[in-house]
Amino acid sequence: MSPTQHSPVRAVLSAAAAAFAVLAVAGCDGGSIAADVPQSNGQSFVGHSYESTFYAADHRPVAPHVSGTTLTGQKLSLAAYKGDTVVLNFWGSWCDPCRSEAPALGTLARQLQPDHVRFLGIDIRDQPDSALAFMQTFNVGYPSLSDPSDEIALEFHSTVPPAAIPTTLVIDKDGRIAARIFGASTYAELKGLIDKVADLT
Amino acid sequence: MTAAEQDATRARAVRAPEAAPAAGQARGSGARAAGQARGSGARGSGARGVSAARPGGGSGSRHGGLGLLGWLRWTWRQLTSMRTALILLFLLALASVPGSVLPQEGIDPAAVTQYYQSHPSLAPILSRLSLFSVFAAPWFAAIYLLLFASLAGCVLPRTIRLVGSARQKPPRAPSNLRRLPASASYVTELAPAEALTSAAGMLGGRRFRLQTGDGWVSAEKGYLREVGNLLFHIALLALLFSVGLGGIFGYKANRLLINGQGFADTPTALDVFHPGRLVTPGDLAPFSINLNGFTASYVSSGPQLDQPISYNAALSYQSEPGGPTRHYDLRVNHPLVVDGVSVYLIGHGYAPVFKVTDGTGKVRWDGPVAFIPVDQTTLTSEGVIKVPDAKPYQLGFAGVFLPTAYDNGGQLESLFPAAQNPRVSLVAYKGNLGMNSGTPQSVYTLDTKDMKLLATSRPLAAGQSMKLPDGAGTVTYLGYQPWISLAITHDPGQLPALISGLAALAGLILSFLVRRRRVFVRAVPAADGTTEVVLGGLARSDAAGGFDTEFAELARLLRAEHAGRPGPASDAGPAAPAGEDVASADMAGEETADEHTADDDTVGEGTVGEGTVGDDTADGLDDLDDQERGVLAVPAAPQAGAVAVTDKPETLRRRADSSREEV
Repeated sequence: MSPTQHSPVRAVLSAAAAAFAVLAVAGCDGGSIAADVPQSNGQSFVGHSYESTFYAADHRPVAPHVSGTTLTGQKLSLAAYKGDTVVLNFWGSWCDPCRSEAPALGTLARQLQPDHVRFLGIDIRDQPDSALAFMQTFNVGYPSLSDPSDEIALEFHSTVPPAAIPTTLVIDKDGRIAARIFGASTYAELKGLIDKVADLT
Repeated sequence: MTAAEQDATRARAVRAPEAAPAAGQARGSGARAAGQARGSGARGSGARGVSAARPGGGSGSRHGGLGLLGWLRWTWRQLTSMRTALILLFLLALASVPGSVLPQEGIDPAAVTQYYQSHPSLAPILSRLSLFSVFAAPWFAAIYLLLFASLAGCVLPRTIRLVGSARQKPPRAPSNLRRLPASASYVTELAPAEALTSAAGMLGGRRFRLQTGDGWVSAEKGYLREVGNLLFHIALLALLFSVGLGGIFGYKANRLLINGQGFADTPTALDVFHPGRLVTPGDLAPFSINLNGFTASYVSSGPQLDQPISYNAALSYQSEPGGPTRHYDLRVNHPLVVDGVSVYLIGHGYAPVFKVTDGTGKVRWDGPVAFIPVDQTTLTSEGVIKVPDAKPYQLGFAGVFLPTAYDNGGQLESLFPAAQNPRVSLVAYKGNLGMNSGTPQSVYTLDTKDMKLLATSRPLAAGQSMKLPDGAGTVTYLGYQPWISLAITHDPGQLPALISGLAALAGLILSFLVRRRRVFVRAVPAADGTTEVVLGGLARSDAAGGFDTEFAELARLLRAEHAGRPGPASDAGPAAPAGEDVASADMAGEETADEHTADDDTVGEGTVGEGTVGDDTADGLDDLDDQERGVLAVPAAPQAGAVAVTDKPETLRRRADSSREEV
């Protein structure tokens, strides 16, 4: 979860270190109760974009079947967007980086609507009232599926699981995952990926 | 001399200074050095290493130091020494200290960010030294890897040596068995070959490993000690390997789960996630868990007041999306195991439920908020509610939850961990929560730097609310939900580590309990047609005792079988006929002379050193461990153990003496 990228050598070296770290803390499992409550951030998110990946056309995993209830109570399925490029954004109103990327996402959603680019949010570990308040604050026009128990996030288990919040996926017209951004997206970065996936000029 | 030979000579020269003291030293690094000298090529004892080094060694060192290979060997030997291993172990402990003093990126990125803000000049330096990610730091890895190399470098050569040692046949018998710590002799009418055959038969029947030669039989027992040693060393390596396995392919995570909610084992759902280096999010077992109820009971009176009695978390879970829903009662130390992943109950607390309405009359929060216990005995808990999308102002609340509130003279405190009289008091703020800048902050802390204190509530009971001034809104306390904290661990190295640990223990016990011991028999024809049979015995690290008894018993049995009479040379006493005294052994005369004058207790010991501690003796024993060599290489210095051992055969001889007189 460290937001820095490691060189291969360092990765190998730290593999052993991680092994010891695990050893060092492994002894206290299942011990006294109430001794180990999360003292820290509690919910995992990343501060800034630290990884964006583009998948070449022949290396794109098929996006899982995603459906659920939106924050406003409508049934919605990803399948309804077939034929369009879809930007899937995992977010939560409690997540600070999500708040910083929200304006860029809202703007892009409006701008790219004529180009058959649809935006869909997946609201993670959230509470509907605060999520709707978030959408109002940032003038988010696109719908979001409510996912308080991570069921939708789990659907991506075997493809491109969101490793942090926020995570943004770009799904191509054929329903395959074409790009991914971990951390807060910027307008330019996300626009560049969408243009590549949707072949916009 | 070829280049390779020169190298070998030089290497031996390097070894020599360390190998020499090793011969005399019983334990510790000296013994280790000798072991390595063997492991690194020239088979043979440390003592041999010394003598081999003498001819070539001088010239080797005259030709300009150690050479590259010598230096490499020297470095390797230093690295694999016990002292280095201990220093590295200490360094490892020392190196993990900053990990618990400074905030760590992998555990608490928000705290690291805060540290950057409060120490703007120091933080970048610390970051450069990897002090915010100690366990992933290159220098930490360096220590760990050196320690691993040191241990492996020590254990592997030893293992190889042990395999050799366990497969070895007993050495040839030393020429003079009376010099051994335990010895006995008698005279028999049997021919030497017959006596030896029956001795070999008896020793073989007692499961001694045998080797025979011209006029002698060597027998050795206790190879199980080497097996135990081997097991211990291999298990130690397996243990190291298992730990590494867990660190690379395992993962560890924490999750706080409020009653009535659920989560899935996927990175976004985990509060703290420590994946092994080769673990990707897709490797996580795709289970999901819901918390349907939690009960805790506590001691309500007596000195154990407030102590927890039991916890029970009613879970429902699915091993995979769409799979059947199962139920499990999670208790302390009764983890739920799904798909090889263990889920432990490690904590619990209260999540008060709030409803926050903003100045525009819209509900902006309606749900539980996990509060963190600040007092483990009474579960007084603190937490924050952040309402960043309240209008017209962002709202923040810092709260205290008291499970059993009691007004102690104006000071509100909790008396009991169960929620018998739950109350919440809140401090309300308005202003900028600092959440929109994108810098992650903890959901459990409120940054009031850019906020204004609005109001402090009285203790609220369920259903009561506080109206905020400035038209900022209303907050209502609705009740509470329990939460539990879960540790999710997947450690593929756990079982191998347990098995290796047990195997190491078994091996250690075996190597402590079993003694390696040797018994030698020599049969020498005497001038009068009889045969003198001399027995010698040697035990390694016979701290627990017992070998002298075993040896005496063996000697008694053999003598009975051979219908032997007491040997003349050993304990005939002044009355013994001179003719019988004459044995072929070169030292016999000397010893006899000595024994005639010496006190019984010191018989033999004083004479051993001066004779030719021949190559024979050294050859016969060279593969014994350093401890034994310690006894044998310095025979002039009588050792307590050696005296004690000779003592018993003396008694035996005396007994034999008296029986002969009866005859």
